[in-house]
Amino acid sequence: MFRLAIKNVRHNPRRLILTAIAVALGVALVSATHIFTGALSSGFNALFNDIYDSVDVIVEPDPDAEDLPLGTSALHDEDVDAVRGVDGVATAEGSLTFQMGVLLDADGGAPGGGQGGPPSLVISWSGDADLDGATLVDGAGPSAPGEAVIDVDSFESRKLAIGDTVGYASEVGVTELTITGTVKFGDNNNTQGATLLWAPIDTVRTIAAVDGFDSIQVLVADGADPNAVAEGIAPVLPDATRAITAEDKVKEQVEQFDQALTYVNIFTLVFALIALFVGAYIIVNTFRIIVTQRTRELGLLRAIGMKGSQVRNMILVEAVVIGFVAATLGILMGWVLALGLTALIEVGAGDLFGPTTIPPDALIWGYGLGMVVTLVAALQPAIHAARIAPMEALRESGTASRKPLKTRNIVGGAMGLIGAVLFVIGLVAGLPNPAVYVGLGAVLLILGATLLAAQVLVPLAYGLRGVLSRVFGIDGKLASNNIRREPRRSANTAAALMIGVTLLAIISTFTASLKSTINDAFGSSEADMYAIALSTFIPQGAVDIISETEGVEWAGREAQGVVTYDGDDQNLWIMDSDVLGGVYGDQAGDRDLSELGDGVWATPVFLGEDLAVGDEITLDGAASTQTLEITGVAGDAIGAPLVVNWPTGEELIGQLQIVQVSIAVEDGYEVADVQTAIMDALATEYPLVDVQTADQTAQFAKGIIDIFLNIITVMLAAALIIAVLGVANTLLLSVTERTREIGLLRAVGLRRSSVWRMITLESVVMALFGTVLGMILGVSIGSALVISLEDQGITGFSIPWFSLIIYTVIAIIAGIVAAIWPAFRASRLDILKAIAADG
Amino acid sequence: MTTVTPDSATLQIAASMRGGYKDYGFGDAAVRALNGINVDIARGEFTAIMGPSGSGKSTLLHTLAGLDRLTAGESSIAGQVITSLNEAQVTQVRRDNIGFVFQAFNLIPSLNGRENITLPIDIAGTKLDKDWFDEIIGILGLGDRLTHLPAELSGGQQQRVAVARALVSRPEIIFADEPSGNLDSKSGAELLGFMRRAVKEFGQTIVMVTHDPTAASYSDRILFLEDGVIVDEMREPTAERVLDRMKQMGH
Repeated sequence: MFRLAIKNVRHNPRRLILTAIAVALGVALVSATHIFTGALSSGFNALFNDIYDSVDVIVEPDPDAEDLPLGTSALHDEDVDAVRGVDGVATAEGSLTFQMGVLLDADGGAPGGGQGGPPSLVISWSGDADLDGATLVDGAGPSAPGEAVIDVDSFESRKLAIGDTVGYASEVGVTELTITGTVKFGDNNNTQGATLLWAPIDTVRTIAAVDGFDSIQVLVADGADPNAVAEGIAPVLPDATRAITAEDKVKEQVEQFDQALTYVNIFTLVFALIALFVGAYIIVNTFRIIVTQRTRELGLLRAIGMKGSQVRNMILVEAVVIGFVAATLGILMGWVLALGLTALIEVGAGDLFGPTTIPPDALIWGYGLGMVVTLVAALQPAIHAARIAPMEALRESGTASRKPLKTRNIVGGAMGLIGAVLFVIGLVAGLPNPAVYVGLGAVLLILGATLLAAQVLVPLAYGLRGVLSRVFGIDGKLASNNIRREPRRSANTAAALMIGVTLLAIISTFTASLKSTINDAFGSSEADMYAIALSTFIPQGAVDIISETEGVEWAGREAQGVVTYDGDDQNLWIMDSDVLGGVYGDQAGDRDLSELGDGVWATPVFLGEDLAVGDEITLDGAASTQTLEITGVAGDAIGAPLVVNWPTGEELIGQLQIVQVSIAVEDGYEVADVQTAIMDALATEYPLVDVQTADQTAQFAKGIIDIFLNIITVMLAAALIIAVLGVANTLLLSVTERTREIGLLRAVGLRRSSVWRMITLESVVMALFGTVLGMILGVSIGSALVISLEDQGITGFSIPWFSLIIYTVIAIIAGIVAAIWPAFRASRLDILKAIAADG
Repeated sequence: MTTVTPDSATLQIAASMRGGYKDYGFGDAAVRALNGINVDIARGEFTAIMGPSGSGKSTLLHTLAGLDRLTAGESSIAGQVITSLNEAQVTQVRRDNIGFVFQAFNLIPSLNGRENITLPIDIAGTKLDKDWFDEIIGILGLGDRLTHLPAELSGGQQQRVAVARALVSRPEIIFADEPSGNLDSKSGAELLGFMRRAVKEFGQTIVMVTHDPTAASYSDRILFLEDGVIVDEMREPTAERVLDRMKQMGH
């Protein structure tokens, strides 16, 4: 039976090609991601090893402890001395690393606009190659304040020479550093694209604005066990610091990194599953058609004595074999994809990846998914095949049993209804874990729609007959008849496309509404400009400069912090409440923000049942603990559960990290002029602070949303391509099925071009049907989501009409393209052979 | 409605039916294909069932072979009553006791000649009798056709492969539905000759449905069917006598 199954597959592989491709695409997505993240992980793994390779034990702040206030150090000289005195310690040196800055280009600009990308680090120089992790290559080490050495790759890529002066921009301003030499980091200067500088400890302290160390590097004596030494160091350390062996530290870093990558894997897996789900539709259709085509063969087997269960198992084995082949194909495709992607990224960002091998994960997920999906999809047709009576073998014409659609309609209607109800409940009822209800409801709704689609298609095709006949003549009539004949199959084909389009439409509606919200928000805000710092925080010095610039009416600061309330960490938003009331309006809370005063506002979620306006709460911040009165209810637009004004915030937390500054321009001044004036004033000291008008900021935000939309669209592309392949697949198989009939039409006089047009029409109708249904469903679901999130801040509701029109046009084109190969085959059929063919 | 029994010389019965009725369709479109059949098929005999179109001969074959269910009545194969069995059990009986040759589409397209011949044995999981296999291949002249796919065989060759398949498991009884119907006269004669040889030399029981008098003349005993009833039988037939008898039947 296994042999029989394999022979069946090998005998007519062509009708299974599209099935295999569908599965392969989904598997390719999964395997590409796993390979990609695997290579990234091994690349960074090597980096972490390099960083901690040459030291034995590291003393550093305990990551589980509270964050220190800004401007203070965890370790000081006395701590270094204490560590030196521990048994087994050969060398111990304090070290300080600062990475919140950017090394500027020769002309004072930040490379790449300073946004994102690999960091520029300034590290304290000890002179000991092991402790620094760097060996001098050229020139001399930095000895005087203001001198620095730089890693060899950055030296080359920035075209520096020994003796050049570079600027390092950070919160304290731009620090000038004179390059005295070059060093090699680790064995191969594998910095993963980062720029590394070493400078004397005092210089680094000035840049970081601290007075101590942030770590102590320890080398143990020959023969000493690092673990034992680490344990011996622990008691002499100040609170909230720890001693960890380099080995453990590397493990920790790798674990954290891999965990972050896991999320990437999961994200892609979701889209791969969507693609495979769509693929499953194709597989079901394909196997159903194949079973119908092989009715006589299967009836013969039953007549000879094969049991129904044996027939079923044979079909299932065929499915698994195809799944296996397709998965193998998919894994290889994914590998090629990952190779291409890593090569592309490395062109821009340099050496980031380890070797691009296929990790076991990729194989397990790839084969697992591929074979399981194919098997499950083929289940129903296989069971149907088992029921074929031996009599089928003896009938001349294979009549397709036309089960009434009633069962399908009832199930579909029920699912759709339950789905809609769950969906609505999830949105409005305020139950815990609403996302589950919403998600499950949406899925059921979509599935229900798929099933009901067959019923809708029947009258639709009938109605279309009039239109199509008028426009396309006999071709149109034949096409609509064909669709009506097999509503289940046509609907399943269209449904595959519908799923992808629905998701796309939901995201489109959502993002369109988001953009509309942004327009509203920025439109109604009183601020004319916003200042943000690229990759760091805004220094107070910059704010001062802004405030003093001519034409500036006011500049309002906003900062973020963390305080502890009742044992839990809570996010705190600190703002210049007297001026920012006009920026947030009533989104800030139930009264004007300027009334914040010395109290604290809290969101309804924070207040819950127990607290109310007028109560007092005690907040524990890094600098002090304060008991504050709740003076108002904060709106969700604030973005944190608690809000205080600037002075209160400084009392609680100490030095604040300014995240954003809103700027208003005085009447009589042009916004553009003031913007230029501010940028000029900031250029020398604070080149990293950028000032954008409200319009520019809105554009920027909308641009990010567009990027998000594009990424999702690309991810959905796999599912959509599979769906279009599904249309082609169904047509191809139905052409094979209708060979005799098409031969008859041609014999009676239908022209080749007419046959072509007939097939194309069927294809376009199916594609359009799926797309339009998907758009209706998607916009409905998306709109419901948006409306339900109104009190979360998404106030603008907008239907992406333009996108919808584009999708419709693309659907028509896709239908035409999908029909090309089947139509070609159909129109080229040899008439006599076709008529004589086996039904 | 006469009960037809074989000569007392042949004692054993390969298949039989008592009070067989078969109806198709409902209401106005109802058709009674078998209208009370009582028949015994003797072992080691070549029995033919003849009749005009619509006489029910194919239906009789199908119900005797367990491919279709009687509406009323009882039938048995090799002494085992099959009308009371469920689908899986009937399949088992077919597998163990019956061989088939159809008019067309006898072979699995993806298997070559050898694999098609051994198919029933592969399905049942029993062991192939190599000597018997070689003998059949020799008799039917299929030695050089074993590795070909059905698409590469002529009509006559395909039917011979089908007969080989039917013979190789030495079933209790072989049912053939117009086996030479699609063949030219030479191939047809060859095929029927093989089938007769199988009956005479190896004691194989064969029941064949045909409308062709020449084909029927290869059999030992012909049952004439009209409107679902056995109306006559003939022993040691010749083509002429059959043709004469046939002239009295039909439209």
